[in-house]
Amino acid sequence: MASTLGTYAAPLVNDAARDLADSIIIAVNTTFTVASRVYSSIPGSRIFAKYVKASYQNDPYRTLLEICLVIFMIWYFGGKKHKPGDDELQLTEKEIQELIDEWEPEPLVPPLTEAQRTELDKIPVISGSSGSKLKLVDGRERINLASFNFLGALNNESTKDKAIEALRKYGVGSCGPCGFYGTIDVHIELEQEIAKFIGADAAIVYSQGFSTIASVIPAFAKRGDIIVADAGVSFAVQKGLQISRSTVKYFKHNDMEDLEKVLEGIQRDQIEKKKPLTRRFIVAEGLYANHGDICPLPKLLELKNKYKYRLILEESFSLGVLGTRGAGVCDHFGVSGKEVDIIAATFSNALSSSGGFCCGSKEIVEHQRLGGQAYVFSASLPAMLAVAAVEGIKYAESHPEALARLRENAVVMRSTLLKNVQQVQCGGVEDSPVVHLRLRDHRFRNREDEEQALQEVVDEALRNGVLITRAKYVNDQELFLPPPSIRIAVTAGHSRKEVEKAAAIIATAVKKVLKGRK
Amino acid sequence: MDNPSSTINPNSTWVNLRGSWLTNILIMVLLRLGMAIVPGISSEASWTLTNLVYNASTFVMFHWVTGIPFDLNQNEYEGLTLWEQIDNGEQFTPTKKYLTALPIILFLLSTHYTHYDFPTFMINLASLLVVLVAKLPSMHKVRIFGINKGYTD
Repeated sequence: MASTLGTYAAPLVNDAARDLADSIIIAVNTTFTVASRVYSSIPGSRIFAKYVKASYQNDPYRTLLEICLVIFMIWYFGGKKHKPGDDELQLTEKEIQELIDEWEPEPLVPPLTEAQRTELDKIPVISGSSGSKLKLVDGRERINLASFNFLGALNNESTKDKAIEALRKYGVGSCGPCGFYGTIDVHIELEQEIAKFIGADAAIVYSQGFSTIASVIPAFAKRGDIIVADAGVSFAVQKGLQISRSTVKYFKHNDMEDLEKVLEGIQRDQIEKKKPLTRRFIVAEGLYANHGDICPLPKLLELKNKYKYRLILEESFSLGVLGTRGAGVCDHFGVSGKEVDIIAATFSNALSSSGGFCCGSKEIVEHQRLGGQAYVFSASLPAMLAVAAVEGIKYAESHPEALARLRENAVVMRSTLLKNVQQVQCGGVEDSPVVHLRLRDHRFRNREDEEQALQEVVDEALRNGVLITRAKYVNDQELFLPPPSIRIAVTAGHSRKEVEKAAAIIATAVKKVLKGRK
Repeated sequence: MDNPSSTINPNSTWVNLRGSWLTNILIMVLLRLGMAIVPGISSEASWTLTNLVYNASTFVMFHWVTGIPFDLNQNEYEGLTLWEQIDNGEQFTPTKKYLTALPIILFLLSTHYTHYDFPTFMINLASLLVVLVAKLPSMHKVRIFGINKGYTD
């Protein structure tokens, strides 16, 4: 009896089992034979076998590792194309439909909250044109301390006449962007006038004040560049810094020691890490809109020269306010306008027009004609506003007494306020026309509560004939939100008596509100 | 911001060319032949050197040097390695698969033709693992051992 089970196992099982075992073994054997035949018929299979044999080298771990590598390679080849960070959420048709059905559009204009409603109701409505004094819709006249009409040039008759003349000649709007038919003689004239006024080589006119500095900064500072900015800069400057995509470092407001520390830190970092040389800027304001104080320009210039930075100065509030000629912070410190690399400002404050400008060297200006986004992608300034701006400059040049009155009024405003009421503090330097009035020594529950109290002061003052306003910010977008305040804009359009009267009214309003809240 | 069609990055597009795929293999062959010419060198040493030189040079090229030599889209690629720039950062693209397979195949070939002792084997393996780990999708924009610590975006 011949069986594949062999002589030892065969007698222990019966015939049926023996046959089954035989057939299984035969099946296994033939499978192996077929498999090896199929394998050897694959082209290159011998090479593979030889390869495995040769690289085995009596070391199973090594072979295992190589198999792992091959598996990794296969896994990598099977990988699906994707971009890291992309959420690959696959939704079925049904799920998509469900989401669409569930979706409820938010109202385009959401219903106002209680606070928003009262704020909207509190906005005074002016009848007629604005000026140092204005009429509200109730017909009563108010002293206007809310507009940045520092020189009192707003509503100046001769300016109005010139503007109307320009309107008749050129029409209302310009035809298009400055690069495409938008530039006319009055723009060129304005550029020359403002450059002469500041004392710079050249100037470029933008059609809107806010977007001027927000466009000037990103025209020069790009990704990877370094900007060192004052922490107290206004919203437009913050937006410019943000758009530039540069590395922005802040120093404490008007703290030159802190600035030097920051500059030194950057220098050390660059030397240690051998970073590539980039463009570097210091950004500051001439007169800080949110604080009412003046930047220490000589020290800024010293530091920027020492550490080799360029200085960008925002002069919207210092233009027509500081200096013997009213030419801004350079004039104030007796420094040539050419010392500052880039000066930008709006025409809409002291010069009582609209639009903005940037001045500096010829290269700085010419670069912006193609690199300044707000210049390239915006229609140019309407001719009548350009003419009004020229008139504004002329007004500042021909009225040095307005500057003196402005400073005197600012001093009077601060001293009268502080004399009449103890619980306040006035931000800013003594003769700065931007006065931030803050309540002192009073505990408020939160910011809203404090703003509410200030609003009550504003309302009370308005009832008594003085128009003032709270300093309003886009709270959640400000980088360093300044404390709540009433922002009083002193102008040269008021007599000393009027300023004293207004200050007394505001002081009484503060006292009354604080008394009522105790 | 990183719309792939908005900018073409000439610093990385050449890697996708079939010519540069071929050049990779050519360089490997030349390296191996060049190493073999050295008089008195053992086959282990020449394979190890080929492996090391290829892995080290590709590591420097693809995973160490960052940025691009010219100004493009406000230095969008500043701080990115060439590997991260290839195909605009997309993973598992044909080029990346090819370039991942090459050092593995080189390693397998070298183990096949030699009788590495343990230290040499580990040196070869380590150099391979370094380049493989750097190529992993999860290592995208990741910097370890202080390499390019300052990566921000």
